[in-house]
Amino acid sequence: MKKAINIFSIILSLSVLSIGCSKFLELDPPYTQDAENFFLNEADYLRALTGAYDLLQGMFVSYWIGDIASDNCIAGGESATDTEGLHQIEAMTHGAFNDELRSIMRFNYCGIARCNFLLEPKENEIDFPSKATILAEAKFLRAFYYFELVKFFGDIPLVIDERLGVQQIQQLERTPASEVYSQIEKDLNDAIAILSYKSESTHSGIKGRVDKGAALGLLGKVYLYQENWSAASQTFNTLINSGNYALASDYNTMFLKENENNSETIFDVEYSDQEGGSYGCLICLEGNLTVGYQGIRQYDGPSYGDGNSYNLPTQDLFNSFENYDPRREATCLNIDDFIANNSVGTTYGIGAGGHTGFYNHKYMKSRDEMLNGIPDNDLTSGVNYRVIRYADILLMAAEALNQSGDDATALTYLNLVRSRVGLFQKTSSGTVLYEDILKERRSELSCEGHRFFDLVRTGKAAIEITNFVTGKHELFPIPQDEIDLAGGNWSQNPGY
Amino acid sequence: MLLRKNLSNLFLLSFLTLFSLIFTAQSSVVTGLVIDENKEGMPGVTVKIDGKSSGTTTNLDGKYSINIENDSVRLIFSFIGYRDQAVDVNGQSNIDIQLQLATKSLDEVVVVGYGKTTVKELTGATVQVKGESVERLNIPRMDQALQGQVSGVTINTNSGSPGGSSSIRIRGLSTFGDNDPLILVDGVVYDSEGLNALNPGDIESINVLKDATAGIYGVRAANGVIIIETKKGRKGSKPKFEVGSYFGIQETTNSLDLLNAAEYALIKNEMFIRGTGSPIFNNTDLKMGTNWQDTIFQSAPIESFNFGVTGGGKTSSFSIGGNYFSQDGIVGGNKSSFDRYNARVNLVNSLTEKLTLRSVFLFTHEQRKALPENGIGSVLYNTINAFPTRPVRTADGNYEYLLEVSDIINPVAQIENTHNLAKVNKLVGKQEFEYKFNESLSFTNRLSYNYASVDDKSFSPLAWYGAGKYANSAINADLDPVQVEIAEDVFIERGASVFEQRATYLDLNFESFLNYSKVFNDHNVKATLGTSVFSRRGDVLNGTAFNIPNNSIDFADISANMAQSGYLNNTGSYEFEERLLSNFLRAEYGFKYKYIFSAIVRRDGSSKFGPNNRFGYFPSFSGAWIISDESFFNFKPLSFLKLRTSYGISGNDQIANFAYRALLNGEGVYVFDDIITSGVAIGTAANPDLKWETTRQFNLGLDFQLLNVLDITANYFIKNTNDLLFSPDVSAIIGSYGPGGYPPIINAGDVSNKGFEFEMAYATDPNKRLGMNVNFNFTYIDNEVKSVPDGVDFLPGAGFGVGGNTATRFEVGFPIGYFIGYQTDGIFQSQEEIDNATVTQAGAQVGDLKFVDQDGDGEINFSNNTDKTMLGSPIPKFMFGSVLGFNIFGIDISTNLYAALGHKIVRNYERQQPYANQLGYVMDRWTVDNPSNENPRVTTSLNRNGVFSDYFVEDGSYLRIRNVQIGYVLPKLISEKFGSDYVRFYISANNLFTITNYMGYDPDIGAAQGALSNGIDYGFYPQARTIMGGVNIKF
Repeated sequence: MKKAINIFSIILSLSVLSIGCSKFLELDPPYTQDAENFFLNEADYLRALTGAYDLLQGMFVSYWIGDIASDNCIAGGESATDTEGLHQIEAMTHGAFNDELRSIMRFNYCGIARCNFLLEPKENEIDFPSKATILAEAKFLRAFYYFELVKFFGDIPLVIDERLGVQQIQQLERTPASEVYSQIEKDLNDAIAILSYKSESTHSGIKGRVDKGAALGLLGKVYLYQENWSAASQTFNTLINSGNYALASDYNTMFLKENENNSETIFDVEYSDQEGGSYGCLICLEGNLTVGYQGIRQYDGPSYGDGNSYNLPTQDLFNSFENYDPRREATCLNIDDFIANNSVGTTYGIGAGGHTGFYNHKYMKSRDEMLNGIPDNDLTSGVNYRVIRYADILLMAAEALNQSGDDATALTYLNLVRSRVGLFQKTSSGTVLYEDILKERRSELSCEGHRFFDLVRTGKAAIEITNFVTGKHELFPIPQDEIDLAGGNWSQNPGY
Repeated sequence: MLLRKNLSNLFLLSFLTLFSLIFTAQSSVVTGLVIDENKEGMPGVTVKIDGKSSGTTTNLDGKYSINIENDSVRLIFSFIGYRDQAVDVNGQSNIDIQLQLATKSLDEVVVVGYGKTTVKELTGATVQVKGESVERLNIPRMDQALQGQVSGVTINTNSGSPGGSSSIRIRGLSTFGDNDPLILVDGVVYDSEGLNALNPGDIESINVLKDATAGIYGVRAANGVIIIETKKGRKGSKPKFEVGSYFGIQETTNSLDLLNAAEYALIKNEMFIRGTGSPIFNNTDLKMGTNWQDTIFQSAPIESFNFGVTGGGKTSSFSIGGNYFSQDGIVGGNKSSFDRYNARVNLVNSLTEKLTLRSVFLFTHEQRKALPENGIGSVLYNTINAFPTRPVRTADGNYEYLLEVSDIINPVAQIENTHNLAKVNKLVGKQEFEYKFNESLSFTNRLSYNYASVDDKSFSPLAWYGAGKYANSAINADLDPVQVEIAEDVFIERGASVFEQRATYLDLNFESFLNYSKVFNDHNVKATLGTSVFSRRGDVLNGTAFNIPNNSIDFADISANMAQSGYLNNTGSYEFEERLLSNFLRAEYGFKYKYIFSAIVRRDGSSKFGPNNRFGYFPSFSGAWIISDESFFNFKPLSFLKLRTSYGISGNDQIANFAYRALLNGEGVYVFDDIITSGVAIGTAANPDLKWETTRQFNLGLDFQLLNVLDITANYFIKNTNDLLFSPDVSAIIGSYGPGGYPPIINAGDVSNKGFEFEMAYATDPNKRLGMNVNFNFTYIDNEVKSVPDGVDFLPGAGFGVGGNTATRFEVGFPIGYFIGYQTDGIFQSQEEIDNATVTQAGAQVGDLKFVDQDGDGEINFSNNTDKTMLGSPIPKFMFGSVLGFNIFGIDISTNLYAALGHKIVRNYERQQPYANQLGYVMDRWTVDNPSNENPRVTTSLNRNGVFSDYFVEDGSYLRIRNVQIGYVLPKLISEKFGSDYVRFYISANNLFTITNYMGYDPDIGAAQGALSNGIDYGFYPQARTIMGGVNIKF
């Protein structure tokens, strides 16, 4: 009997131990914050905003495609399979399986999710003075990321102020581009209402935080892409007439690190040269990788660092400049001429990914940067990517004004851009002026990621781009994997 | 805290229980002495009257006395590791007996979860390997030594470098994520990564639980369980000492057929002429040039010294062991080395007649140095691609820069600049109290622990490998440091740096279980009921300091750093904890030991999962029918025949902690005011419904013994793993693809492994002067992915080349990680052939690879997947292992073979750059004069010959002589003169040769980077061929 009691007590103790302790399994992650109930003070909002800015640094993909897809540049690189997606885009053979296009989708939607994390309704919403500005910046960023997506893919699912789970994605449809544009305009108008100009004392003065000018510039561009000429010219005029901006004096040195944040800067993606990285995670980098990637392959000579020979300007681009236009040299480096003139005997390599004889002179690793930068300087440049600069604003404004009949102001803006580089003043009007403005855009803004989208929106892509199929190549295909992962119900863009 | 409180409560309760129970013993009539093969008295031998459950055991001298009811009873003598012996009393009052060692006997004890059983009673697919057969091979790592010894267990080497790891797969790859089996050493959880901490000389036996009967370990059993027992002493035996030592020389088993300078110049000239129109060498008569492989491979020593003593007194027994092991690498010598010190103490104390304390302490100290391996940028990758036309050092004494290939650095310089050391201290132990209420019932409480501290230190000197090289840490050949701008116009130097990390890990496990075993006439019943509380925690702290003085390893310590104001220095840390709470029950019923049924159920709670799915139940059932014990079974040559089957469910919870929650551990970093500013971002997206993977396994097995000497085991299994845990691609819209972001871990996808296993063992009596033993095993495994997550066609795996195509996939209908790419159909021999081809291949030129149009649309499509096809599987279909041994008058000869067949390996160590060196096969490239149909033309111009195709996929099948050994045991007459019982000298060779068509260094390639990188060769650090000699002495 005693024995039985003892055995019973053992069994009892075993079961008590296991049932009594399911609390034993309730652990919290040490020293890590949970996404829920996170926003407790101003610093939390600021840190989440920093996270939302981070994805701007993924702009290198759209930057490349903007020229490689056009008649401006070829993909280049080590081989035809080195970043193969760019080679396909160069040849207009790209399809729905393209890693680069998928990155665009991924990076921009990640940016949007991070903005939505800030903007989504919260259970215990707190308030503090700078909150409106933080949320306005988040709206700017969300508008920027959506604009990238709608430029590339047309209709895209619109997710606003919420984070979605795997199941909810299956129910999403592609939102018509016009609705996406409306949301972009709404977000930008909200931002404009709150943000101040960098020059104003109400702006934080922190380099890299967007201001009213950036929001106006982007809004004007968004109107321009929709051919809403009057809204575009009105928006650009507000920006131009604010008096906060002027063209930088020297075009040649404008893209250098030391000339960042100049009078021409409307909106930059900020990069740093202080942190290394690896090829394994390009989106994790804090540096501008395009600068090293676009360097001269296996080069060891004066002025320039070596690099991976990406995004190489074409002869066609070189030839498109007016004679004596200094922007030709500033845009296209003729490497053989350079070596012949400066450093006879210096050698460089030719990548099997293609060679044109030209290197991308605007964003290119300098020898100083290579020598003084941290070791993996293929990936680590502090040079900002100029997304919107004043010259672009002037030319967009000129285009919108010309389209809405104000040729006089259009011509003034065009000539401002021309006189900075010492070119004669145009006097054209009407469609001739229109063509002049577009030609000027190419000379001024090549190798800055705009050309393909300019050709598409002006209907000139089929003329200028070999193998461009009208009715198809205006948009890029939605990555097939993304269609499948969203339940397979989205229609593909026409022609793909 | 909670854990400790519960543990102490339970201990108290169990001790109260123990001390309140007292029972009495019996008296005697038949007496006698039991001796062993050495004619020494054997203590602890069980003596029973046939048909009764109670009995007695022999005393320290081997003597026994037992009370019998009448003269006609039969006595059964049994002892672990010996054959049972039955004697009819027939009126004798004194019966002396000598027990025979079991060779591979049915009475051999096999360790199963929380208990032991015999081979005869076993219902599951469990295999035992004796420690001796592992130790004898002198293979440094226990897991490598196990390769080819057990059917159904695939072991691949992740790296042949000293201290490198292996991947152990029991019955195939069943999941995308963690495929490692659960490993227990004397009941203590041991991680498979750390298996090289074990001294092979300490191992008594290795028991592999392959089927559903491993389910007693529930949520961690899906990948099978390996139970390792260390050597134990025997009560009342005189101390026995054992000393062993060996010394060997290692060298590479293989070197690649790379181009020499003359061949290189010829090929490259042709390549450049075809591409750019002009040659790069004016003179191709360059002789041999530099053989870079010769500069980095070397012969390297390996040595081991082993000591052990076992014995026991009246109430206790002990086994103590120590080992020193040291190995240098065949690449890098002492820059790639492994040193290990082991100490082991096993104690068993009978505290009272009913209470036994078992203690195990295993201490390991190890030191490892390693070179960059198995990847782009590894020493061997650089060696293969370095070109032969340059010397190792230039005339000025500096290392050659190899400038023409921007991503290849001088491997000799790389070795010289690599400085790292990992020091591990590991203490594994347990205290186990077993209280025997009576012969039938016992209660065990044990506390086990596994503590490891891992100290890493690596020194990165300022180094210069030539302009533009990725590995540079200095800015020029003078080793000037980088100037970092920390504020406007404020620059500081960034000199040599040292990284130090301390990680400590502690597992605590309390387990408590009741074992019951009773025979009621023809019925025998066994039961195990228990509970287990497990916690694992880890704390990691690290720091990096810059500006180490003199750029010298002599000052490589954080304390010596000279960084201005410590500005660049940084620190990091993290902690984790995970817990498991489990109950288990096993019930077994046998009728006349002929029909045996067993049922197991385990309930596991894991902190890995959220409240929605924290607890799981894992049942399994098994049965055996010993046909040879049936009266109708009358086939004499078949001395034993058993049919077994099992079916059950087990789980796998090996994922990151807190994957069910969304944590802000992503990377949200941007640059404001030119300063890198940290923010927050969601890391892995949340999945509150996350749960364990479930494996359902069926096993049908047959064991038989022919003529008492030949043991054969065959198993057929079907193992289906469902609800795979992994992070497949999710829609971009979730927002997981930013810095530090990962898609949520979900349960999706199914994998099936089916297979057949066969084992055969034959051995003559090991004590005879002439003898032989043969072991043979065979495994066939068919691995297939059955489903993938919704919306995903396949999961892409490892890449090929640089920035290149995906080479492996996880896709329905194919093995895990199969190779996918273009299929080739020879070479385009003429322009007419290209022009007249029915299939358009864009950009094709004469001499290019001709690809197969898989979808039949008349065009080779390079921008999507429609023309890609399966190019092979990295998983061997068949594996054979075999041991053959003879002994004649003290001389013993043995060989150990292993073969893996039917799998492919991807040749991914060739850098596709114009100046990179190439393998000799390129000499047979297509030219007008040599219309090769195998190897394409060489050119620097744009071509598609480098896309991932079957041109880069090779047959990985191989047969390897793992070990050959000749030993001589001194006749006892001689050895006894030195006071020794046993002296054996031997010479032995590991990896003597390998038969394979594979071009790379070593076809035995594991998956260091996960299941989808299986079989991708980046210039694998090969296993060494080792020639050694050694001696074992016992006294």
